[in-house]
Amino acid sequence: MNEAASVVWVISLPLLGALLATVWRQYAATIGWVSSALTAGCAVWLLWVVQRAGVQELALGGWEIGLGISLYADGLAAVMVLMSSLVVLGCSVYARHYFRAQRQHELFWPLWLLLATALNALFLAGDLFNVYVTLELLGISASALTALGAKRAALRAALRYLVVGLLGSMLYLMAITLLYAAYGTLNAVQIAEALQVDPLGWAALLLMLAGLALKMALFPLHFWLPPAHSNAPAPVSAALSALVVKAAFYLVVRLWFEVFAPLTTPLLANALGALGAMAVLWGSWSALRAERLKLLAAYSSVAQLGYLVMFFPLLAVLEGEARQWLFGAMVLFALSHAFAKSALFLAAGILLQYAGHDRIRELSGTTQALPLTTFVIALAGIALVGLPPSGAFLGKWYLLDAAFKTGQWWWVLVLVAGSLLATAYVFRLLGHAFGHLPAVKRPVVAATQEIPALALALLATFGLGLGAMSLWSWLAHTGTGAGL
Amino acid sequence: MNLLDGLWGVLDLLLVAVLLLLAMAAVLSSDRRRSMMLFIVFGLVLALVWARLHAPDIALAEAAIGAGLGGALLMATLRRDTHQQTDQFPQHPVVLWGVGVLVMVLGTAIAWGLFSVLPTVEQTWRKGAAVDAQLAFSGVSHPVTAVLLNFRAWDTLLELAVLLAAIFGIRALGYVRSAYVTEVAFSQLAVWLVPLLILMAGYVLWAGAHSPGGAFQAGALLAGAGILLRLAGYSHAGLPTTRWLVRLGLVAGTGVFLLVGLGLLGWGQGFLHYPIAYAKWWILLIEMLATVSIGMTLTLAFMGGIPQKEAA
Amino acid sequence: MVGLSAINPQFLYVCAGIFLFAIGLWGTWLHAHYVRKIISLNVMGAGVFLTLIAVAYRGEHLPPDPVPHALVLTGIVVAVSATALALVIIRRLEDATDE
Repeated sequence: MNEAASVVWVISLPLLGALLATVWRQYAATIGWVSSALTAGCAVWLLWVVQRAGVQELALGGWEIGLGISLYADGLAAVMVLMSSLVVLGCSVYARHYFRAQRQHELFWPLWLLLATALNALFLAGDLFNVYVTLELLGISASALTALGAKRAALRAALRYLVVGLLGSMLYLMAITLLYAAYGTLNAVQIAEALQVDPLGWAALLLMLAGLALKMALFPLHFWLPPAHSNAPAPVSAALSALVVKAAFYLVVRLWFEVFAPLTTPLLANALGALGAMAVLWGSWSALRAERLKLLAAYSSVAQLGYLVMFFPLLAVLEGEARQWLFGAMVLFALSHAFAKSALFLAAGILLQYAGHDRIRELSGTTQALPLTTFVIALAGIALVGLPPSGAFLGKWYLLDAAFKTGQWWWVLVLVAGSLLATAYVFRLLGHAFGHLPAVKRPVVAATQEIPALALALLATFGLGLGAMSLWSWLAHTGTGAGL
Repeated sequence: MNLLDGLWGVLDLLLVAVLLLLAMAAVLSSDRRRSMMLFIVFGLVLALVWARLHAPDIALAEAAIGAGLGGALLMATLRRDTHQQTDQFPQHPVVLWGVGVLVMVLGTAIAWGLFSVLPTVEQTWRKGAAVDAQLAFSGVSHPVTAVLLNFRAWDTLLELAVLLAAIFGIRALGYVRSAYVTEVAFSQLAVWLVPLLILMAGYVLWAGAHSPGGAFQAGALLAGAGILLRLAGYSHAGLPTTRWLVRLGLVAGTGVFLLVGLGLLGWGQGFLHYPIAYAKWWILLIEMLATVSIGMTLTLAFMGGIPQKEAA
Repeated sequence: MVGLSAINPQFLYVCAGIFLFAIGLWGTWLHAHYVRKIISLNVMGAGVFLTLIAVAYRGEHLPPDPVPHALVLTGIVVAVSATALALVIIRRLEDATDE
């Protein structure tokens, strides 16, 4: 089997798993975690292939690209697939003991594996209409998974989530219509090569940005995120916050820096950055005021996505090597958030199971009852604040450095304010968790729940902090390359 | 000739006027039930528009899936509502007008962008030329089927997965509509309409290789038969009573599609790369199973989930 | 009669599609009840599909571009799947008594 097959397998394995888990539902959990593990293995293989042999572009069906659909794997796509597969694997191991009833397993696994399929297919899509189909698969499976919370609040959040996702997809699809009308192709690289600075390009960019901003919950379109992310079952919350919004962000990056590169002026980048800055301030402030741990984590996601967008105005003015470093720092920040936030949601799930609630004020004694879970929360907190040695620390460091170098000092103010607020909400949480109670019963927590949470938290802090250098070399194989 | 063109012009204007008025009324009406009815009629007029624009495949799909099934689904939400329901906009009129202006600005921007390129590319065929050139090697002679099942087969495979995600989501809600009012009229209708629908589905599926039609339209017709059976009082709507058989039927289309794709990869051909000589047969196999899956999925979507074992 | 024949059908249907898109967007945004949001979303989708098919139209005597036709078929199926899920959630919400 040739090397390019790795691109196909990272998408096909979870899809195959979803189908098998539907038919042999009594083995759904086993099929689920085995296929997640195999997918993670293939994701490593894919990254290795891209490192060794360069960008992989696969013309599906053997047709010329444009007539047929292409799958496109460069360094960035491979890193995102690996991130997604690792988080999915962690959550899959966790979910085996999180869901107690057989019926919950039967419902969870097929949808969960379809979500994983959609994520990998989206990261590897080379065709803009194919991206639309993956976005719909992602939105529908994510919404259905949210509804598994089954409570009224969860159903309502799932419905709103679904409608918002569909609205975003429709805006995106209108942009595709414009691009196909003008350029007669749906392939991203071919459109990038042909793109003109004209009213059509502007309209398409506006529609795509609006649709994807809605999907990534960019301020002021974030209203749907906190209820959806805080009412879903723990492994689902973890994937929604860590991966699903990240998928929309990934598309924005691809479109902004590659497809629409001639149109994305520094002015536009600053406008986007300003929205990011407001997201950081508003999200962090709301997280500080949140009553419940899962709500805190959800608001913190709004803020963290804001940081990611704040990289754009700086990337718009930097050139050459400095720009490559900053781009890598942005990806590092995204990875760090993915691992830290999924760890935090998994830990919150353990807390909810054993304490019966996640009200922050009433968390005293958690350290005594659930020491490992508290440790996970602390590690995730380090990554969310951006303390060393986390990946987020390096990300913020490069952001700070670039802001000073380019004289755009106002981003520094936002960064400092956001970090202070993050410190406050993390320490408020830990303060309550470390509260001492005279007598605490220590529950027996399944190791398969605490270990994956710990592994993800360690990846966010030590893994990314110490292994950051290899990330930049992986990203060096980022291909279509309009300026990357 | 001139007169004929003039007639088309009148027809176009009429169609568009009716379409837009129906859409506006469906969105703006304060009566929810009326809004649903208007939307269903809107779907039927839209099917006419598709036929007018030389898109018979879409006309067929719109009539069966959009207006037909979409309408049935909407009516299923309504059935128990005996009292009239009015929907008022909670917002201040200034907000309503403000958003109205905003969407019109967006619409104008889209129109401006599109019309700045359309006159120059009006007669170009875009990817149509490439489809035409490769059609002979696709295994089918109808270009839309060739795009769906061969050139852009990956989209279609994922689209089947979207259907699965929706039905899994519906099933997870654990809700089966308790009781339908069994109409005698329906059971009489079902006796002769169901076999006819199944025959039509078979024909539409077969015809898809060389003329408008294919798995989605055929599946929608099958779903029509299922819904009719359900309305006629058959609790399982003609679906197998063995539950694993239902699940197998749901995933069959996606499963065979994926396995054929992967099998070809293992064979050294490449993912979803049909050998030209056998393309026709692979496509037919995939379409047949996809039709069954689509029919079952859409029927179940109407019913609200897999039927529970009914207590005696 | 002669005046009417001057109207380019492509122009007319593209305008109609964009109008449907706009009014659907307006309704999705502003309606409070989710059934109405879903209906509006479908109108909006119909607008996108109409624009796409109008772009593919090449006059009375030439065959249309089949690619947009395939895309719209995919889009219709995706839209009906999402609509079905949304409507069942709505039904379930109206039934749910737990709070």
